[in-house]
Amino acid sequence: MKAAILIALLLQGGAAEAPLADTAKEARAQGLMRELRCVVCENEPISQSTADIAVDMRRVVRVQIDKGASDSEVRQYFVDRYGQFVSFRPPTDGWGVALWVFPFLLLLGVGGLIGGRMLRARKRDLTPVPDDRSNEPDA
Amino acid sequence: MIAELGHLLAFLALATAAAQSVLGLTTGGEAPRRLAVATGMFLALSMLTLIISFVRLDFSVALVAKNSHSLKPIIYRIAGAWGNHEGSMLLWCLIMAGYGGAAALFMRNDRLRDRALGVQGLLTLGSLAYLLFASSPFTRLTDPPLDGGGMNPLLQDPAVALHPPFLYMGYVGMSFVFSIAAAGLINGQIDREWAKRVRPWALTAWSCLTIGIALGAIWAYYELGWGGWWFWDPVENASFMPWLVGAALVHSLIVTEKRGGMAAWTVFLAILAFCLSLLGTFLVRSGVMTSVHAFATDPTRGLVLLAGLGVAGGAALALFAWRAPKLPAGPEFDPVSREGALVLNNLFLSVGAALVLLGTVTPMVVQWLGEIKAIPPESASLSIGEPYFQLTLAPMIAVLLLFLPLAQAAPWRKADLSPLVKWLTPAIIVAVVAGLAALALGGWGIWLGFGVLVGTWVVVGVGFDLWRRVGEGGVSRVFRLPLTVWGMAIAHIGVGIFVIGATVETATRTERTFPLAAGQSAELAGWTFEFQGVRPVEGPNYYSTLADVKVTHGGTTEMIHPEKRFYPVADTSTTEVAIRKTIGGDVYVALGDTIRDQPGVWRLRIAHHPLIDWVFGGAALIAVGGFMSLVARVRRRAPVAATETPAEEPAGEKAPAGVTA
Repeated sequence: MKAAILIALLLQGGAAEAPLADTAKEARAQGLMRELRCVVCENEPISQSTADIAVDMRRVVRVQIDKGASDSEVRQYFVDRYGQFVSFRPPTDGWGVALWVFPFLLLLGVGGLIGGRMLRARKRDLTPVPDDRSNEPDA
Repeated sequence: MIAELGHLLAFLALATAAAQSVLGLTTGGEAPRRLAVATGMFLALSMLTLIISFVRLDFSVALVAKNSHSLKPIIYRIAGAWGNHEGSMLLWCLIMAGYGGAAALFMRNDRLRDRALGVQGLLTLGSLAYLLFASSPFTRLTDPPLDGGGMNPLLQDPAVALHPPFLYMGYVGMSFVFSIAAAGLINGQIDREWAKRVRPWALTAWSCLTIGIALGAIWAYYELGWGGWWFWDPVENASFMPWLVGAALVHSLIVTEKRGGMAAWTVFLAILAFCLSLLGTFLVRSGVMTSVHAFATDPTRGLVLLAGLGVAGGAALALFAWRAPKLPAGPEFDPVSREGALVLNNLFLSVGAALVLLGTVTPMVVQWLGEIKAIPPESASLSIGEPYFQLTLAPMIAVLLLFLPLAQAAPWRKADLSPLVKWLTPAIIVAVVAGLAALALGGWGIWLGFGVLVGTWVVVGVGFDLWRRVGEGGVSRVFRLPLTVWGMAIAHIGVGIFVIGATVETATRTERTFPLAAGQSAELAGWTFEFQGVRPVEGPNYYSTLADVKVTHGGTTEMIHPEKRFYPVADTSTTEVAIRKTIGGDVYVALGDTIRDQPGVWRLRIAHHPLIDWVFGGAALIAVGGFMSLVARVRRRAPVAATETPAEEPAGEKAPAGVTA
């Protein structure tokens, strides 16, 4: 079925890249086009490439979205064909989870450590030092 | 003869740099100072000879033959001198030695300067050795060609002619910050005085890095033809990591300078910034990645750079491990205070840098694991791009920025938040209204609203803080605020403007590709584009296919001309976009290819980039703010340096407790 769609699309050749009539669907399609990598270009998403294959890939995105596919189904469609390389969004399952949560764990871990130490050492009797006396550490 | 002269001058610089490092680290005094100036002068003259070879099109010099061409316009012949690996390495050495020379002229004569010049001499020596023995720009050809090989035409652009010098002033400038850090550690003196003397150099390097990155973004925006200004490309990330650490550094230096706190952390950042610059250079030059920016690659270069990173970073970290435990902790402060806010700033910016590092190197590591068969080849390819950074780094920085106006208004040591929040309430209301309005305006999701809220809060909140500082004295006091306050405020307002511009542009830009035959029209964002066909035009060193597009908007009509240029010497095509500026943003038209089997039908990529100037303008304000803080610092210190007596402090700022503490 999918292959048939693709072939039909290729046969259309240079037909207009018409946006989807449904603006919400078109917005989703454009979002996906920014996340998918043009496989013959150097580090470019298909939304920005003028290469023929990018044009074809854009069409496939629109057709699939139009047929009711979810964003992740469209991503998976391309990942199945071209590998994880095609998606600028790293996987959110398996070891890919580590990639997404590590920065936040680092922030919370180090932040908690520093914050905890500062709170434990907190003194009640400190007074504010205004800007014009900031050069006096003992003020 | 001129190339041999340049070669000789570089060798003289090698000798003076060696002497500079030995004498700087041992006896000190006038000798290393004069040697540092000499190293800078020799390399400046050496660079000049290379530029002369490029301008005179001396094709017997291998580098000129490879990278220049008789048809190239004069300004790009000059820029061509650093638009290649060897020439840019000479620029690297020149800027490194230039910082050393400038320090020799402007820094006060003491142990700190001597040793900083010594360490800088070592770094220059290493760079020069690499330049002269592994990538000399002065090699001659026995059989010179009649004409040169040209330069990558993508680089034939004013923004990119200036991009490397500024980027290097930033990247390589961090080397001198590193040198003063190492010198301070050797002396065992990392204190308020040390921070005071590091800060101008850190501000210079960081502000130049800001400009360099912004120029690169501007160039990508209009020269690469896809309308993006930042793509989380590994090369971009390579410059962004030292920028983030540099931003953390210019803030933590304030705590160390004003209060004597965070000394160990500050010196660690000073070391880290240059290490990340070296790591970035390694990523760009070694060829470990493929990307649009990696023009000059050679695998052997990577090892040399890694070795340099290992030696410099390892030595500095060893010094750090030796001295850091003995550094005093600094005066106490409450978590709710200016110091506390700056700790928060440093936490977020450093974790942000770690995040960018993770996102940049993971695809390379995964690919390498696949090559050594540690993981199956089908899972050995991975891309990490915009969606990742937008969902991790962007919210992280946005949360940090929520604290910015409060931090700027908070007193040192201990802050009482309630009067600050009360004073800033109108700013909070304005920001929330702006955020809600952005949310209401379109179906662009929650991120747009949040970004506009954060940006507005920063701009208005900083404005309110300025007003608070002016106090009762009325408008005339605005001009009597210290320059440091203005520098800080302008840089922070720049951050806010950048955030608004970046979020609005990213969330609401529209772009579409239209296949058009002559006479057909397209419409986008209320503009009509009538494609009237293409015609050939000949440039000085290229052939252009120039499109005529009639643009109609609100009753006014004008012609615009996007082009595709073909450079026969380099056998490369480039896109020259046509941009119409409006108050709300740019209308951007790029000419694509003709369509398969349909001659006469061209793809026109038309885009609307709202508030794009806010992105670049915000970045420019950040740099301006940095330079203003620098001028404030230099102006205040100048009389001290000249007379060696404490100078009159500007109104509102009392003299430091001990100038030479």
